[in-house]
Parts: sequence; structure tokens; C-alpha cells
Amino acid sequence: MTDSLCDQAAGKGITVVGLYCDFLAQQEQSTTNMLGAILKQLAGRGRILEHIREAFQKNEKGFSGRRLRLPNLVEILKKTIMSLQRIFVCIDALDELAPKHRRELLGSLQEVVRVSPNMRILLTGRPHIDDEIVECFSKAVKIPISPTQDDIRSYLEMRLKHDTTPKAMDGKLLVDIMRVVPEKISEM
Amino acid sequence: MFPGRQQVIGNVNSFNALTNYNNVVNIDAEPDTGRHRILQWLSPLEPQQRHEDVQTDRLDSVGNWVLETHEFRKWCDAEDGCVEPVLFCYGNPGVGKTYLR
Repeated sequence: MTDSLCDQAAGKGITVVGLYCDFLAQQEQSTTNMLGAILKQLAGRGRILEHIREAFQKNEKGFSGRRLRLPNLVEILKKTIMSLQRIFVCIDALDELAPKHRRELLGSLQEVVRVSPNMRILLTGRPHIDDEIVECFSKAVKIPISPTQDDIRSYLEMRLKHDTTPKAMDGKLLVDIMRVVPEKISEM
Repeated sequence: MFPGRQQVIGNVNSFNALTNYNNVVNIDAEPDTGRHRILQWLSPLEPQQRHEDVQTDRLDSVGNWVLETHEFRKWCDAEDGCVEPVLFCYGNPGVGKTYLR
């Protein structure tokens, strides 16, 4: 989705950033690291904005420890987004984030969105996190994702092309696979 | 003040040297240096790497219907302030949410 948004954003002054959540990386995917990764992608593309540089220098001199704290991060994010024309933030597999971090991240995004009309957020995840999303974004728009029969056929064709035992295949088996598998999946 | 600058100039044709001294190479674009350190300070995560893996494994035609839905088009195209900013695409494991183009 990030790529489609990038295509559509091209030449329109729209910035697109993407984050991926992963069960196996729950520890490092903290709220601060995730929000920081938005800034990192923004800062990595062009000149580092002055307020980010200032925050970094202040932090290095201070006694507050080296990591950026959540409230500061949210403020920096607000200020950075204000300098953009429009931004799409895509967060994939939000359900894979640790529950504590997920709530915190949604709450922080809510805070940023409140003062950033130029910001849109695309979330993907399993249905059970819907309640948490609605808690922060009561009017969130929802699209159920399930593969169409065409999607399944394209996928099957691709997999069969890379079949490791092509000798086991014949015309009838191929026809059966292409008919039965999409039907069964659609029934699920 | 800029340790390593000499080495970079001396190895300007060597890709490895440029990579090793990435933060120094950017001196010209960022006069007061520290770019790499600032980026690491913002977050140790590298979402761009995961994105490249997904791009490699993806079958491009699959799931394009989502991009044509009224909900998606409105979310994507509406003027600021005229649309709910959050769009949630949900589905069970393995339906291909990550691999939507």
C-alpha cells in the first residue's frame, strides 16, 4: 500500500512513510522507537530540520539520559508534520505490536492528528484490534480485506510456476487446482 | 574537528570507505555534521529494509481492488479536513494485508 500511495503522491507534495510491526520484534518496537522511525524517515530524506537538531543537541548536553522521551517526541513530530504539505503514515500489522505499545502509539497518533489536518494514517491488522482503534479514532473508516478469486488464481499461477516437482503435474490436476482452491478459500 | 574527513577524501573512489564514513561524507550537505547520529537517536528501527523485502516477494496484481474502493479513494483524495484521517484495513492472518501494493 505504501508503494501505491507513493505512486499517487508523486509530484503532489505528499510525503509517505511506512512502519511495520512484528511479533518477533516487540521489544525494540516500542512507542518511542516507532514514532521516532517516522521522524527518521522524514529526516533521512532531506536536510535535518533545525528543531530536530536542536532537540538532539539539548538532549546530549542535558541530564535526562540519551533517549528521546515520548512527550518530547510527540511535540517534535507535530512540529515536523506542520512543515509538510501532506503526509500519509502507513502502519502495517498493528496487532503485532505489544498491547501496551499499541495503545500508547494510537494515543500519541491521536494527539498528533488533532493538530495536523494534513496527516492521514493507514492501519492494517487483524480484526480484534478494532476496539482499540475506535477508542482513539471513533470515526475511522474500515475496509475488510479478503482475497478475491482472481487474487487467489494469480497467486496459484505464480506458485505453480515455481513448483519444485513439476513432473507430478498434468492438465487435469492443474484445472482442478485452479478451480477448487479459489472456491474453497472463498467459502472460508 | 572532523576526524575521518581526510580518509574520505583519500578514498573517494572506494565505496567501502564512503559507507564507513557515511556521517562524515554528508558534511557538505549538513555543515554541522552528526546526521547519522541524529537519525539513530530518533530511532534504531529500519522500516525501509522490511519494505524492500515485501516489495521483492509481492505479486503486483493481487489486491488492487482495494485501491479502487470508494473508501480508499475518498481517504486518499479528499481535501484536508474533509475526511476521517484514519483508514483501517483489517483481515485475518494470511489474507495479504501486508502485500497490498
